[in-house]
Amino acid sequence: MKAYFDTVSTTRCDRQVLETYKKLLDNYYCNSDALYDDGVAIYEMQEKARGNIASSLGVRKDEVIFTSGASEASSLAIKGLCFKHPERKHLITTSYEHSSVHHAMLQLRDVFGYEVSFLGPNEKGVVSAEMVRKALRPDTLLVSIMNVNNELGTINDINAIKKIVKKAPGVYFHSDITQALGKIDVDLSDIDMASFSAHKIHGLKGSGALIKKRFVELEPIISGGQQEMGIRGGTSNALVNIVLAKTLRLALENQRKYEKVLDEMHEMLIKGLKDIEGIRINSPEASLKTLLNISTPLTSEVMLNALNAKGIMVSSKSTCGSRTAEKNRALSSLGIDDDYAIRISFDYLNNKEEIAYLLDCLKEIISKYG
Amino acid sequence: MANLKYDHIVVRYGELSTKGKNRKEFVRQLFHNIKKRLADYPKLDYQVQHDGLFIKLNGEDYLKIKDDLKQVFGYAYFAGAIISSLDIEEIKETALTIATMKEHRTFKVATKRNDKSYPLRSDDINRAVAGHILSHSDLKVDVHNPDLKIYISIKHDGAYIMDEKVKGLGGYPTGINGRSMLMLSGGIDSPVAGFLTMKRGLKIECIHFASMPYTSAQALEKVKTLAKKLSVYQEDIILHIIPFTELQLAIYDNCDESYAITIMRRMMYRIADELCKRRKIKTITNGESIGQVASQTPESISVIAKVSDTLILRPVCMYDKLEIIEIAKMIDTFETSILPYEDCCTIFDPKNPVTKPKEDRVLHYEAKFDYQSLVNACVENDQIVKLSYRDQEEDIF
Repeated sequence: MKAYFDTVSTTRCDRQVLETYKKLLDNYYCNSDALYDDGVAIYEMQEKARGNIASSLGVRKDEVIFTSGASEASSLAIKGLCFKHPERKHLITTSYEHSSVHHAMLQLRDVFGYEVSFLGPNEKGVVSAEMVRKALRPDTLLVSIMNVNNELGTINDINAIKKIVKKAPGVYFHSDITQALGKIDVDLSDIDMASFSAHKIHGLKGSGALIKKRFVELEPIISGGQQEMGIRGGTSNALVNIVLAKTLRLALENQRKYEKVLDEMHEMLIKGLKDIEGIRINSPEASLKTLLNISTPLTSEVMLNALNAKGIMVSSKSTCGSRTAEKNRALSSLGIDDDYAIRISFDYLNNKEEIAYLLDCLKEIISKYG
Repeated sequence: MANLKYDHIVVRYGELSTKGKNRKEFVRQLFHNIKKRLADYPKLDYQVQHDGLFIKLNGEDYLKIKDDLKQVFGYAYFAGAIISSLDIEEIKETALTIATMKEHRTFKVATKRNDKSYPLRSDDINRAVAGHILSHSDLKVDVHNPDLKIYISIKHDGAYIMDEKVKGLGGYPTGINGRSMLMLSGGIDSPVAGFLTMKRGLKIECIHFASMPYTSAQALEKVKTLAKKLSVYQEDIILHIIPFTELQLAIYDNCDESYAITIMRRMMYRIADELCKRRKIKTITNGESIGQVASQTPESISVIAKVSDTLILRPVCMYDKLEIIEIAKMIDTFETSILPYEDCCTIFDPKNPVTKPKEDRVLHYEAKFDYQSLVNACVENDQIVKLSYRDQEEDIF
């Protein structure tokens, strides 16, 4: 039996999205900026997709910028804003952002001389609006705080944070909503920029978007032509951009549709884990239902290998840092020893049999090697 | 979101009730139009009665139906309703359900007895129901300016209890007054003219003059989009695409530039007129508005329209541009209309178009070339497309 429990790292592509993409690939190849009919047809589909994405997220059409994913979107948001407003040199973020945000911040600090405040989460694993308020300075340009943490599943109250940022003149708010989209409701009003990926919501790899409100001006990071309102150069990956609309629509529909069943799976998993001796649940209680960080008596590597041998796929830390020796920033900020932690994540394509199988395997592995 | 518990929708006829002998036909057409518009909801049951159309929801979503029903002409208003038995206790309970479905602070009860044999008088029912709501909710009575009006209609088969009355678009059921040929340019005015024509019960077909390659494929797409948006009010729409380039070029070869638009408009009328005759359509509709452009001065219009003996309807002729735009926004054609593609009227835009054309000069220019065979060619090469808002776009999004 194979069971995939690493949906935070990526998801299986939805059948309907895949079929649509294949069909488009078979039929279209022109440059979406070309002026003959076939080019215009692609352009129009892409713009319709942009409009649909905008209305799904409650923003305007020209506030959707297609990118290659959330990492590019966040880089563009953070660096693009800094390069446009060189007069302000202070940035605020958390200590447990995804590496795309974290490394953009480090680059701005180390190469471009910015000062960055890295806010550590409290004992509940969240960064509060009050912490942000205290960190604000007259020269602060940007606050970038993720909505849902990808290691712990903790949910930051970005609705409270955005209110604080809105009151601070000249300060922009960016949020990485990659892990929130399709899982919890996201309200983008008063959020200046937000990034997300398609492949975390059953879409294609190499696809994502930056939501950027009209009044936010950015310096392009990828220089090029007129594509994406001049903010992101390069021939549009139009067919991929087109299916992002369907990806997002289905993700939001499925969020409602599978809410109950995912709750049940969560309960079953929690209950099962609590019954296994030696397992500790690291994710605070008010976290995402579909992500559980746990520690076992075995080191992460051993547990990963043992589960892998049984066809179960989990991860030990964010996959984007899986081949580096960097410490797990989310876990260490909560004082958790990341050497023993594994991350279990699932979605509506999993089922209760798989959860039962995972629990059985964990029990067996711990009793055998623990 | 309020938890709506309606089990019926009541549609009241309004203006068409006054139409005497034709009433039956009107009601039949309205029923037909509503049924077609609500075809996406297969569980609905319809009952046509003399005072209204009663639709049983059978679990279909009232809020979705509400939006669709609002796009049908020919009724005064509709309301979500719960039907109770005539037992006063059940009426009281049902009214309480209606009263507490949404958030309100004050209310009033208004009862009407269609069935005068009912033992309680309207006022007695009002009091009984209001008393029940007062003692079982936080609502207060306000007879002058209530947040919520509860309407109770006592009929022989039950009590219909409603809260909001949703005003309809009015007019007559589309189709009851025959068909009209709408000259659809792609601008702001003609779709609005089409909408107003449908509102008076005429079904429309559209005629569009395309000047490829001077006008682009996008310009034609835009017209198709507009036609599709209009089709919401009559299910589908026939669009005649007339290849106009050769005739237009001949006009510019033979006529003084200042008269080019006048003569071009005359040719359009000739073509529309001929098409109407072939398709047995009795009227032409267009978006002309008095004084808006050179070809729409009273002098221009009268010289231009002389070539057609079909009745010409100009629904927006007395409207200000801003009034037209308001309707265009309401029917969602405005954003499409302002897309910046050249249409056949803007393509050869003369510098000094004549505002008071003389008929003798017009005739003089027209005598210089064999326009009739070109007009015939246009009619012969009419490309007919049937469009509907229901047309499934490829399932890409």
